[in-house]
Amino acid sequence: MLPRDPLTADQQAILDLPADARVWVEGSAGSGKTTAAAARVAMLVQQGIPAQQILILLPQRTLAGPYQQVMDSPEFPTGGRPDILTLNGLAQRSLMLFWPLVAKAAGFASPNSPPVFLTMETAQYYMARVAEPLLRKGYFAAIKLAPNRLYSQLLDNLNKSALVGFPHSEIGSRLASAWTGPSSQMRVYEQAQEVISAFRQECLARNLLDFSLQIEIFNKQLQPALLFQQYVQTRYRYIIADNLEEDTPAAHDMLLNWLPAVDGALLLYDTAAGYRRFLGADPEDARKLKDHCQVLNCDPLPSQPAGLRVFTSAFSAALGLPIDEPIGEIPAPPLPESEVLAAIRPISTRFYPQMLETAAKEVARVIENGTPAAEIAILAPYLTDRLRFSLTELLAAKKVNTRVLRPSRTMQQESAIRCLLVLARVAHPGWQMPPLRADFTAMLSTAIKDLDPIRAGILAEIVQPRRDDAALPGDFASIHLSAKERITFTFGELYSELRDWLINYATEPPLQLEYFFSRIFGELLTRPGFGFFGDQEAGKVTANLIESARKFRQAVQGVLASDEIPQEFISAVDQGLISAQYLRSWEAPQEAAVTLAPAYSFLLQNRPAAVQVWLDVGSNAWYERLEQPLTHPFVLSRQWQQGDVWDDAREAQENRQALLRLVQGLARRCTSQILLMHCEVGEQGYDQSGALIRNSAFAYTRVRRAANQPTEASDV
Amino acid sequence: MFEPRPSQKEILAYTGGYMGISAVPGSGKTHTLSALTAGIIGSGVLLEDQEVLVVTLVNSAVTNFSRRVELFLKDTGTLPGFQYRVRTLHGLANDIVRERPALCGLSSEFTILDEQETGRVIRQSAAAWLQTHATEMEKYLSPTLSAGSLSKARQQDLPKLVQEMATAFIRTVKDRRLTDEQVAEIGQQARLVGMDALVVCTGIYADYERALNYRNALDFDDLIRNALAALHSDQSLLERLRHRWPYILEDEAQDSSLLQQEILRLLAGEPGNWVRVGDPNQAIYATFTTANPAYLRGFMQMEGVIARDLPESGRSTASIIELANHLVTWTREMHPNLEAREALEIPLIHPVPAEDASSNPDDSRTIIRLLDKKLSPDEELERIVDSLTTWLPQNQQRTVAVLSSLNEHLENLAEKLRARKIPVVELLRSTSSSRLAARRISAWLSFLADPRNSQKMVAAFLAWRNVEEDSSQAVVRACATLLRKCLKTEEYLFPQIVNWLEQQPLASQPEMELLLLDFRTYAVKMLKVSDLPVDELTISLASTLFTEPADLAVGFKLAGILRTSAQLYPAWRLPDMSLEAASFAEGRKFSGFSEDDTGFDPGQHRGKVVLATIHKAKGLEWDRVYLSSLNNYDYPSGAEGDMYKGEKYFLRNQLNLQAEVLHQLQLALDGREDEYFEGLAGMEDRKQYIRERLRVLYVGITRAREELLLSWNSGKRGTSNEAVALTELKDHLVQRDMIPGGSTR
Repeated sequence: MLPRDPLTADQQAILDLPADARVWVEGSAGSGKTTAAAARVAMLVQQGIPAQQILILLPQRTLAGPYQQVMDSPEFPTGGRPDILTLNGLAQRSLMLFWPLVAKAAGFASPNSPPVFLTMETAQYYMARVAEPLLRKGYFAAIKLAPNRLYSQLLDNLNKSALVGFPHSEIGSRLASAWTGPSSQMRVYEQAQEVISAFRQECLARNLLDFSLQIEIFNKQLQPALLFQQYVQTRYRYIIADNLEEDTPAAHDMLLNWLPAVDGALLLYDTAAGYRRFLGADPEDARKLKDHCQVLNCDPLPSQPAGLRVFTSAFSAALGLPIDEPIGEIPAPPLPESEVLAAIRPISTRFYPQMLETAAKEVARVIENGTPAAEIAILAPYLTDRLRFSLTELLAAKKVNTRVLRPSRTMQQESAIRCLLVLARVAHPGWQMPPLRADFTAMLSTAIKDLDPIRAGILAEIVQPRRDDAALPGDFASIHLSAKERITFTFGELYSELRDWLINYATEPPLQLEYFFSRIFGELLTRPGFGFFGDQEAGKVTANLIESARKFRQAVQGVLASDEIPQEFISAVDQGLISAQYLRSWEAPQEAAVTLAPAYSFLLQNRPAAVQVWLDVGSNAWYERLEQPLTHPFVLSRQWQQGDVWDDAREAQENRQALLRLVQGLARRCTSQILLMHCEVGEQGYDQSGALIRNSAFAYTRVRRAANQPTEASDV
Repeated sequence: MFEPRPSQKEILAYTGGYMGISAVPGSGKTHTLSALTAGIIGSGVLLEDQEVLVVTLVNSAVTNFSRRVELFLKDTGTLPGFQYRVRTLHGLANDIVRERPALCGLSSEFTILDEQETGRVIRQSAAAWLQTHATEMEKYLSPTLSAGSLSKARQQDLPKLVQEMATAFIRTVKDRRLTDEQVAEIGQQARLVGMDALVVCTGIYADYERALNYRNALDFDDLIRNALAALHSDQSLLERLRHRWPYILEDEAQDSSLLQQEILRLLAGEPGNWVRVGDPNQAIYATFTTANPAYLRGFMQMEGVIARDLPESGRSTASIIELANHLVTWTREMHPNLEAREALEIPLIHPVPAEDASSNPDDSRTIIRLLDKKLSPDEELERIVDSLTTWLPQNQQRTVAVLSSLNEHLENLAEKLRARKIPVVELLRSTSSSRLAARRISAWLSFLADPRNSQKMVAAFLAWRNVEEDSSQAVVRACATLLRKCLKTEEYLFPQIVNWLEQQPLASQPEMELLLLDFRTYAVKMLKVSDLPVDELTISLASTLFTEPADLAVGFKLAGILRTSAQLYPAWRLPDMSLEAASFAEGRKFSGFSEDDTGFDPGQHRGKVVLATIHKAKGLEWDRVYLSSLNNYDYPSGAEGDMYKGEKYFLRNQLNLQAEVLHQLQLALDGREDEYFEGLAGMEDRKQYIRERLRVLYVGITRAREELLLSWNSGKRGTSNEAVALTELKDHLVQRDMIPGGSTR
């Protein structure tokens, strides 16, 4: 399939490359590289190259959309599909195949038993098992961190060491050597190292492969193995690697090794990148691949309004930093301030909710004036549930649809999941984990369709067993007539059905949770009269819960007796160890919906918008990195020079650069107008005057000055 | 237009360096500081990325200050809000910590617990400690207690005392910047030498810190010590902040603690630009905090510090000023207790020159009265009520307040005033719009948690209409009465077989029927979404219940707070959340919005009686002020027979255990545990307390513009006497013929 829009000359050049070319394409975001690459995949297959020989390597699964669309189109030749994988996906797949080859050398205690791949959640569970006794002994007392966050940061450190390629035993000393703060932190780093090493030992002893071990073994053991090299070289002859700037040094290293052996390669790199460094993304490191390829530039004509270019330039001057990508010509003579304000306009309100209300009004107005909703993006530094909720409601009231770009959401936010978890407790009174009354009531009103919370409350009060009474819920038939009448017999019958199911279930040996969920879902909850009947969303989230329970069981069956596993799963959910974050199926762009997204997710999604609305521009969150006391994205990166220290000067410099990159990146993805929404008093009641709004104000001053005194134009 | 007086002009001429200003009550120091801020900005010395940093004591001052500066800056062409930053010291510390949380072992998502929340944590740890370590505290109980008193002491007094003691201990430990290890060591050592109270406090401290760590949370004192630690540990951070804030102006400097002063000193640098304004005579927070007026005094005496006075005040009549000044000179020269004499200091207050725009009220308007009969607390209040009953109707356009140190006293007074239909404004719980908004949300959360309860349904109904029980809208009242009788709420809200609403005789009341239908629709809609996460539910309520932007903002803030609670207490459900929301409705600090934000303006409450503690009245003024309860319990002088709040009847030798434990801590830190002598600390504490109470009295007197009414009572047990200072003021007034020689009304 060819893209709908005609290709630009740059895109056509990518398509026209010979099949055996090794090419590095760089250009700014939105220049159409991915579109061209996807079209090239189709073209290669059409030219007769077996689809299975093509590997599409991406930093995240969520970026697969454009490739998938091409392959799904009817024009795509039948007979096989290219693999679309992340490094981790490739590593896992390969390790399963070649386990006997590496298990022993990697130091696993039982190389002849199969490996257990850990998910983020199950790795967290094992980390908790290792760290909890030490926490109780007073480890990590010098830092403030909820245990779950502590575990995830320790794991994050391990993952970084694997992706960057330094021994996990050096994590503590690396962090310590860059530290400038109070010396009490040194002990914390030592303790972190101790826990990390203990966790690694635990993994080796039990054949557990967390993300870091998967990557480490893949890199160090598997890739150098001749057998693997032969396999891979036969399997993949063509590589398309997209968004290299967001990928990790481990991925770059692998590509560097593979490049000489493959028949063709297309490597895509965003120049204005480096938006964030989660999980070890390293744009500088990617550049080493460039030397091994023919280089093409893909840069579109800037479609940005001139006012926006002038603003970006003035903004960078206010920050005292140079623009680090071409932004097109700055008009001379200088634009009048009014034209800049038309392209990027600040709107100030007193309070936070007023700002949201005003933003919703502005969006409605923009739509009324003819901009399609799909061309509008509302961006915030973070998208809290509160913000998402209230904006969606405000826009809905104005008949504007929204689609939310947010990678994940926890399962417990779904009432269907909460209902299932409560049912699990109710069905297993022997666990002695009775639900709270409020939860029991909510379960009844979710499980029984149309049962209102008042009647559910009356019913719960009567039938829920006492806390110390390990029994199933009581019988409807034997409750007082007046209560029956209040509840109504219709609901009473449905409740009785639910209870009958539980009684029947209790006569059989208890099941593992995934089977329990799956049975009660299929046998009861989806029947007419019950809460999940006809509810597709409930089906989807139940599937996620089942998957999570299954993975948990598989991961822990080595350390827990099988009858302990279900309870342990429920406790782990309670403790937040298993938040069961899951990726919502990426909501496809809808014709008539406004995008609501965290600014960085929007950047990474690489789609321009005609109108952008930036919320809460007074907030520091627009540019401040999320600091964590146990890990550090820069110190644990490949660029880090041993012996350097990370002090405030570095931090401040990094923040300023991040702010400029963000403003540049967003402005680049805007074809018509940006609205800067500012509230004097932030959500928490404090005044808001962070660097984004301040420097915007200074940028306007510069624009004004330049317009009034043309001789000063060079200042802008 | 602001026409500065000569003394103010001297300050406005400031261009740089360290300056200390001693300002008397009513001298316009805040105004002068605002003008100075605007002056610095207007002079163009600031670079684009620089700000004047203004530090003040309470949140309400922040907005006030900003408004004044904006006013000064109007028409100067400067960007509003970008060249100065007004912060409380805690707000500033928060800003600093948030610059680099990891420097303090924090993640960016850390939260700050308010006093209510930390109080909850300490209460829990204290209770747990008392249960498992009863013997340590048992030793302190008085052996002479009757069985009944003993049981009450164990049940009520002791847990409360341990909580207070632990709170003071934790604050002090943090103010001294001790590490957890140091505290643990002190605890071990204390066990060896038998300092039991110290053992208990170190134990509670450890529990408390663990609870905070687990919650990824800081208390207010942590903010201060962490900010200082961050500045100490990263020179480049300090340099960046010094560059950002080349001028620091500090208001209410007498209330700064040593650490707070140290933060500002570091930020100002040497040489640096730092202006501190304060009134050591109004330092009335030392008992609750680690603040101390000595720090400001020391600063003003430092070499190189430009010392200035703002001695003129246009607030009160000449005679009231004279009385306040007499308290100062008498205290300094004649107070029978030598230790008390340093409580107050000069400058004395001077009236402003007659030509000044804000000149003093004419002295002929002065009324000073004294009620010096021995009365019970109740009788004292009755007399005040009588007096107000006569005065108020004739003075509807004037302002009046009754001040006392005791909340309980004020609550009783409020009741008596209401009984006589006299309008009352309780400053402590003034129903600001933000509290009303919190109350409405709380009513709804409470109803959604328990929709079967018709009382709660009625409360939700009234909150929905935004009216009180005694609404003037007859229809609303009638609906509320009807709803109260609906005992099976499901038959109204979710009718199945019986439809309650249809059964009501409303044929001739279409308005009522419509209202009840509307309410049902709304209630059902909210009940259906009541399983939303609590913050989303709160926003949902706020955005439908409120129309005022400020109220909506309160709703959002409350939503954020409840979300944090949900994370801290995973087992909390709607009933707990509604209680939490209610705590804000009932006076828990709720900074950021509406009246709490802009401060209390007595001028808005003419013709009503404002009731306030003297502490809360700081910074405010009224035409007429009643100062009550001026006895030797509230204002001891160190005379034989004086009683002290900190000394507990149920402890052996009526120990002041809080003072003891802090003394034990000090000795442990100095390695002088063997010098501990029980009871000495209490004596030392008395001196400080006596001094602070004199300052409280001074603050009380200086709230009055024209009329001042002083009274006392014999206390709960009937054993208290007239305070020595009051006797002195009385004698002085008699001498000056301000009052007749005998008892007066």
